Amino acid sequence: MKFFEKLSQIDRRWIFLLVALAVIVPLLSRMGLPDKPGKYSLQLFEAVERIQPNSQPVLISADYSPSMMPELDPMFRAMVRHCLARKVRLIVMTLDPTGAGLAEDALRQIAPEYGAAYGRDYVFLGYKVGAAIVIMSIGENIRQAYPTDAYGTPIDSLPMMADVRNYADIPLVVDIAGSAVINSWVIFAGARYKARVGAGCTAVSSADYYPFLQSGQMVGLLNGMKGASDYEYLNQQRGYTSVPRVAGKGMDAVSIVHLLIMGFIVLGNIGYFVAKKNAQPK
Amino acid sequence: MFSHDPWVWIAAIMTLAIFSFLYKENWFYRIAEHLFVGMSAGYAMARAWNNALVPNLFNPLFADFGRNWPLLIPALIGLLYIFRFVPKFSHLILIPIAVGLGLGSGLSIAPTIQTDIIKQMQSAIADASNVSAGGWGLAWGILSFIGVLTTLSYFFFSREHKGALKVSASIGIWFLMVGFGASFGNTVMGRVSLLIGRVQFLLTDWIHVIR
Repeated sequence: MKFFEKLSQIDRRWIFLLVALAVIVPLLSRMGLPDKPGKYSLQLFEAVERIQPNSQPVLISADYSPSMMPELDPMFRAMVRHCLARKVRLIVMTLDPTGAGLAEDALRQIAPEYGAAYGRDYVFLGYKVGAAIVIMSIGENIRQAYPTDAYGTPIDSLPMMADVRNYADIPLVVDIAGSAVINSWVIFAGARYKARVGAGCTAVSSADYYPFLQSGQMVGLLNGMKGASDYEYLNQQRGYTSVPRVAGKGMDAVSIVHLLIMGFIVLGNIGYFVAKKNAQPK
Repeated sequence: MFSHDPWVWIAAIMTLAIFSFLYKENWFYRIAEHLFVGMSAGYAMARAWNNALVPNLFNPLFADFGRNWPLLIPALIGLLYIFRFVPKFSHLILIPIAVGLGLGSGLSIAPTIQTDIIKQMQSAIADASNVSAGGWGLAWGILSFIGVLTTLSYFFFSREHKGALKVSASIGIWFLMVGFGASFGNTVMGRVSLLIGRVQFLLTDWIHVIR
């Protein structure tokens, strides 16, 4: 019983140290725990698979900032690789001011891997202020929101944008975001303009979006680092890329830290009940 | 072994400075925190100027004032926020707040009812009565339906929770607890992922221990 009492008084820095070890050791040792893509990751992947190559484009909105990079940047990169590997045209935009640099950097790195040409295979529209207004403007005519791309080139002079007017010409919209802007995509692009919406979100916010999946308002969802790892795994499994997985490497550490925290919760609860029992008058 | 890129060194030192807070509050951490706040604010201001004000206000006004002068109306309404710093006229900031609230509510209330209430109710009813789903599919549908009803009953405060309502509300609490548990699990994964991202950066880009 003394053990649990001592445990409840332990300096929290020991817990930080254990968590740090639970992250560092799996990263260094590459444990290679089994990987199985989740249902909703697979649904989003299959939604992209169903789009015909060299036809209508997928729209990806990279609405994330550097603070969310570990979870969302691998997702974005994996989706871009998937689209470009299958010759699915890609429109990339962002509603987060800091997302523009991250998305542009990823496109610059990935496009040469597949010999993708700017304007023919993908376009980058850049950042636009006013989330809901931008989403609705695209529903009317994408040229209202983005008369030019991120580099000032008129949209109409980009070959792949010639037949793209609004969501009716975009078979899939994917929002990768660490904020509630996913709601705006579902509400305005999905409900109002009948666009097919998928999303990638931080694990913290994912519980908010499961009701949209169950009610069929989202075609799929990538949930945090696990979702990113799933997409990277599927890309590799189908032979779309051989680039080492970034999120996949972190999943061993996620699993070990989760086990550690579950252990803490069990011990904490036992300690709580023991302390409660000891406090009762005999 | 270590990176030769000075920017990587700066990022690594800042990361370690922030992590040093876990041991205890210290000036090293405070420097990093203040740098972060200052840079974020500066970056946000520059972005707002370059991506919002210049293309949406100044460029159209200078290009064709005769046609675009109505843009001055929202610009002036927005400028009223400055009166936040003038106590005598601080009440004027209520005008842009009211415009923003009215616009936001007007745009989102109807579609939000559609996506968050009507579609969810339709889905709950459809899943619970979808006999063709059979077996587990139907069972999960019925369980979800019971969860929706009992959770809603917990938030029904117009009657004292007694009798059948008490039973229903108690079951609703269990569903809520399951929801909170799932949220907590996801929160842990999210926070751990951020830590992993930083540790990966330190081990990969800075120390080059992982390739």
